[in-house]
This record gives sequence, structure tokens and C-alpha cells, in this order.
Amino acid sequence: MKKLYSLIKACMSSDMSLFKIKTNKKSKLSKIGLPLLFSFFLMFTIWVYANALFEQFTPFHLQFIVISLVVFFTSIMTIVEGIYKTSSLLYNCKDDQLLLSLPIKKRTILFVRILKFYLFELIYNSMFIIPLIIAYLRWADKIPEHFFLTSIIMILTLPIIPIAISCIIGGIISNISSRFKHKKITQTIVSIIFLVLVLYASYNLENIINYLVKNASSINDIITKLYYPAGIFASLAVKFNLTDLLIYIIVNIVVFTITIYLLNISYFKINSRLKSITTVKKVNNNKIVIRKNSINNSLIKKELSTFLETPVFIINAGFGLVLYLIAVIIITIKFDSLLKVLVDPNGLNIKKELILNNTSVMILLLVSVTSFMTSISNSLISLEGKNINILKSLPISPKRILDSKINTCLFITSPILLLGDIVLFIRFKIKILEAILLLLLSILIPLVSHLVGLIINLKYPKLDYENQAEVIKQSTSSFISVTIGMILCALSYYLVLKVIGKVQPLLILSVTTLVFIIIDLILYLYLNKVGIKEFKKLSI
Amino acid sequence: MIEIKNVTKKYGDKKAIDDVSFTVDDGDIFAFIGHNGAGKTTLIKSIVGIHDFDSGDIIIDGKSIKTDAVACKKIMAYVPDNPETYEHMKAIDYINFICDMYEVSKETREKNIIKYAKIFEMEDKLNDTIDSYSHGMKQKIVLISALAHDPKILIMDEPFVGLDPKAVFDIKEILNKMVKEKKIVFYSTHILDVAEKLCSRVAIIKNGKLIKSGSMKEIKGDKSLEKVFMELEDK
Repeated sequence: MKKLYSLIKACMSSDMSLFKIKTNKKSKLSKIGLPLLFSFFLMFTIWVYANALFEQFTPFHLQFIVISLVVFFTSIMTIVEGIYKTSSLLYNCKDDQLLLSLPIKKRTILFVRILKFYLFELIYNSMFIIPLIIAYLRWADKIPEHFFLTSIIMILTLPIIPIAISCIIGGIISNISSRFKHKKITQTIVSIIFLVLVLYASYNLENIINYLVKNASSINDIITKLYYPAGIFASLAVKFNLTDLLIYIIVNIVVFTITIYLLNISYFKINSRLKSITTVKKVNNNKIVIRKNSINNSLIKKELSTFLETPVFIINAGFGLVLYLIAVIIITIKFDSLLKVLVDPNGLNIKKELILNNTSVMILLLVSVTSFMTSISNSLISLEGKNINILKSLPISPKRILDSKINTCLFITSPILLLGDIVLFIRFKIKILEAILLLLLSILIPLVSHLVGLIINLKYPKLDYENQAEVIKQSTSSFISVTIGMILCALSYYLVLKVIGKVQPLLILSVTTLVFIIIDLILYLYLNKVGIKEFKKLSI
Repeated sequence: MIEIKNVTKKYGDKKAIDDVSFTVDDGDIFAFIGHNGAGKTTLIKSIVGIHDFDSGDIIIDGKSIKTDAVACKKIMAYVPDNPETYEHMKAIDYINFICDMYEVSKETREKNIIKYAKIFEMEDKLNDTIDSYSHGMKQKIVLISALAHDPKILIMDEPFVGLDPKAVFDIKEILNKMVKEKKIVFYSTHILDVAEKLCSRVAIIKNGKLIKSGSMKEIKGDKSLEKVFMELEDK
């Protein structure tokens, strides 16, 4: 037990470094303050949304539907996130050799890694479930006995089943990719296929959920069948039942144990196969190509090669862009059907003219949402890891290094956004001036996202990591950047709703362009002043 | 010429380097020795511009690393204690990347890369990705990339760790040749007998403080460097 405790402590120590900063109180407060502020903001937003949902359902005494919906969608998000986290969090860990050489059972190593995964998902899930519970306390007809005990147990157990599903799917992905020569490319492709399948499945659940809302009498039973933890939580929030709670706890323990047992069968085989492929000595007799590039091109090439060699990075950054392309294709091909849905008097009931006269503003909204949800730069500094010393010892200024990181991000996002723009311009016959402004905005808006991400990563670097998923998905930097992205998305949506139909599209686009030029300039100046100072401080 | 002037570097309240001053002249092979944690790597990282320091200055060929870092780094090459590279890259791409950063001409890099790859017996392995290499092979790639741009000053942190005997011999030959060309070689090491034979000057650091610095003859006198080092450590 002592051994297990030491192992958990060692594995968690680097992740908890944020709370162990040995500097003055002011500095410590500024380091911890921002993540806490954003956590609070995220929880507050969830609370607001939960209240809005409860307000709709309370008159029909169906508050438990809100609970099950939030639990269900939080779990789906955990599964989706978990699928591509698993392949990095459980496999290809840097400490493999060290841990395997120690007198520890292999199953214990696997258990600790899954436990670490669980603890992060627990924090993530809590940010959704705690505000839900607080909102429920306000709207519940009657708070059942032992509600707080039930809530604590539910918060602690809700991540278990999604993690189990992610671990199994992640294990299958790693197993498949470990058998191929180009395992990283295979891993990226298979992960994307799985993610699309999960999203497709959850998209098709919409009809079932609609059915559930309309058939309130049998809802609880159906929810439980649809997703057991959601149904149990909804049921226990209305009436406490010790037997149900005990069965639920046992189910979770069994699921967790079975997951470890199943993974343990092939976990170390897959891990060693993944490693053996990379360490196999390749006989390559091709002629040595010595070529000269400019400093800037060479830096961008290096950044791109890092990007392309990191499946979790590609999936994380590229998924939004892939969804953007899918959206562009659907809008282009099926616009008439979409229009029918949007103008349907029983549905969204939007005026047809409003849509047709403001297509450029709609494109602007699509570009904004994609840009703010595509966060690439927030891990570019951390991913350097120990190689940061190489960069710092080279005869190039920090400004040039940071510029190259921003340029790389633009190099990844701009072609896709611009291509989508052009397709939509042709489809909707956008006026030339509006088209030019939209093209400009397709560079200016993602630039904000890239600058913000880089500034945050410089403030919260994580250079010492066991695997890349820790940096890309679980670092303070990625959390803050994604939260800011979500806020900016919501803000864009709100502002577009406020001005659409009231202001000419050309004026909206012109003002937006001007605003983004100013924001980009301010952020770039900040990066050059404060960011460079932070870069110089980086050390490992 | 490298001038270390009253350099102090703190980690929190602890002084990793405490008011260290010495100079390294052109044509010197300078050994920097001390026990583990004495401050060798910290000072080396300060010289090559990886670390900032709290006070003092480091002057490289008349220019301060604090105010003119790029110009200082342009004439230096750094070989770290662990061969840190971009492991997903092919070795040749990594070397090309480093040469690009130093703006090395195509002719110079063609000449030097082939020359040093042959010396270190790596020419048929340059098209492999670095993650397939052993520790020693990675170290050789770092050495090739450091030497490919003809640095005037070569700074190395424990350069012989992990290298095979032939590579150690070859690197010693290369260093001797560099010194004949009036270049500077500054390196930290624990292998004292190699330092004794190879180096013209030596500095010994203990708990961040420079306790001895001078020509090899002055420092060791009739004793071996190992004996002098052990005596100083015991004080």
C-alpha cells in the first residue's frame, strides 16, 4: 500500500506543480488566480444554463430530465475527449522504462495511470455537475433525504464509466496502430474514425431525446436504459433509494475492475509493440539531401513536423477545422433543406429574408466559431519540452521563435478557412467587397486565437511532461485557452444576434475587421513585450 | 575570448553560481570541473544564453550575452549533457535545421556534414529518424550539428558521456585541431585524466564558487589533477 501511495505521489507530482510555486505570495496568486477565475467562470456559465433549463422543466415537475441531460452530455464529452487522451495517457509514457524496472506489479502501474486519468476527468466533470446540483437545489420540488451524500457519490463515480469506455476504445486504437509501420498516421486516422462514429451516434440520439421529452411518464425508465448513471442520478435526485445507490456503486466498482483486467491482458504487449516499431533500426540508403532554408522557413518546417508527428495534437487542433469543412460542404449542397428548417414556423422561425440578406454575416459567424474553437498555439511552447534549451541556445531572437509559432498556426488554419470561404462565396454569390473583408477576417480572427493561446502558454508552460496529451488536453494553458475560446464563441454569437438585420452586412464586416486589427495589434505588442520576457524565463 | 565577470545566479534563495569570474582566451581548451550540483551546467547554460543570471556579465568576443545574445550565439556552438534533439526528425533534417539557424552556406554545410559524419561513422545513418538512435549516436548527431557551422567557440557539457572509445578519440583530435586554429573549447567533465592530458587551462567550482582557476600546470603542479581536485573537495 505504501508502494502504491509513493507511486501515485510520484506520478501526480509534476501535475500539481502549479500549486507548489516557491515564489512570493503575489506571484503564486497570479499563477493560480487565473485558472481559478476561469474555472469559476465556466461553472457559473453552466449554472446559468442549468437554471434556464430548470425554469422550462419545473412547471411540469420534470427537473430530473435536466439532471439526466447534463450528466449524459458531460459523459459523452468525457468519452470523446478520453478516446484520444487514452492513446497518449496510457501508452507511450516517458516513464515506462523506469517503472517497469522497479519491483512493482504491472497491474499497479496500469491502475495508477488510469487513476491519474480518472482524477483529471473528475475535476473536469465536477465543473459541470457541481453547478447543476447547486441550480437543482433552487428548483427542486423537494430535496430528498441524503441528497448531499448522493451528490458526492455521484460526482465521484460519474467519470468511471466514460473513462472505462474511452480506455477500451483507446486500447483498440493503440492495438490497431501498433501493428502498422506508420503507427502515428494510423493512430490519427483510426482515432478520427472512432470520434466521428461517437459523434454520429450521439447526433442520432437527438430523436430519442425528443421522444423522451414528449413522453414524460416513462422518461426515467428510458433514461436509465439509455445511460444508466444519468437515470440513477435523476432518480436519486427525486427520491433517495439505498438499494439503487448501492447497486450503482457496485456497478461502477465492477466496471472499473473489469476495465483494468481487460486492459491488463494486452496493455504491456501493445506498449512494447508501439515502442519496438519506433526503435527498430531502419536501413535507409537514400542519398543524403543537404538543403538550405531561410531561418523563418526552417522554423516553420520544424513546428509543422512536430504538429504532424503528434496524433493527439492533430486531432485536437484539426477536429474543429474538419467540422468546419463538413459544415461548408453541407451548407453548400443542402442549403435549401437547411433553410426550410431555419424558417419553419414550428421550429426556429427565422425570417427567410433575414438569412438570405445576411449570408456574409453567417459566414463570419461560422469562421469566428471555428477560429475560437481551434486552439493550436496553447501547447506549442510546452511541447518543446527539454528541447526548449536547443531553441534558446540558437542565434535567433525570441521574437523570431514566437513569430514562427504564430505563422505555423496560421499556416495550418488559413488554407482551410480560406478554401471554405471561397466555396461559400461562390455558392451565395457574395459581393466582392464583403468577400475581401471575409478573407481578411479569416486570417485576423484565428490570429487572435493563436496569439491568446501562445501568450497563455508562455505564462503557464508545462515543459516537463510524461506524454503529450498532458500538455495538449490537461494543462492549465489548454484549459484557460479553451475556456476563453468558448467565451469568445458565445460573445460572437450574441453580438451577431444583436446586430443582424439591423445593420448592413458590409458595415458589420468593416467594423469587425477594424476591431480585430486593433485586437491583433494589441495582442502582438503584448506578446513582444511580456511574452518575450516569459520566454527568456523558460527553463528546464 | 570569453570573459565571465562576477556572475551570480540564484534559484530562489540558493546561489547556484556565486560571484564567479574568469577568462578563457583564444586557443584555450578549458576544462571546467566540479562535483555533481556544483554549478557547472548552470554556468554553461548562462554562457550559451539559455539561462539569465542575476548579476555580473558574460562577454563573448567583446559582446555581452545579456544585451547582444544573437551575435554572441552566432559564433558559439553548444553540446548539452543530454543529447537533446527533435527526435521525430531525420538526423540530416535536424542538422540542416541547426545549420539554417546559423545561416551556414550550402557549400560549407555540404563539406562539414559529410566530413564529420564520416569521422563519427554516421554517414549511412543520417537518413534515419533520431528516435531510432542509441544515446551515443544521438550525441554524435549533436556534435556533428555543433561542428557543422564552424563555431569559433565550442561549449560542451560532459561531451564524452555515452560515446564509444573511437568517437572519444576522434573528438579529442577535432578539439586539438580547433585549438590550433585559435578557437576556444570550453567543456565540463568528470573524466579528470582526459582533462589533464587535453586541456591547457582549468577551473574548479565548488558549491557555486570558483575555488581554483589557471593553467593546467599552475593548478596541478607535480600532482595529478585528480589528486588536486580531491584535496580541494575535502577542504
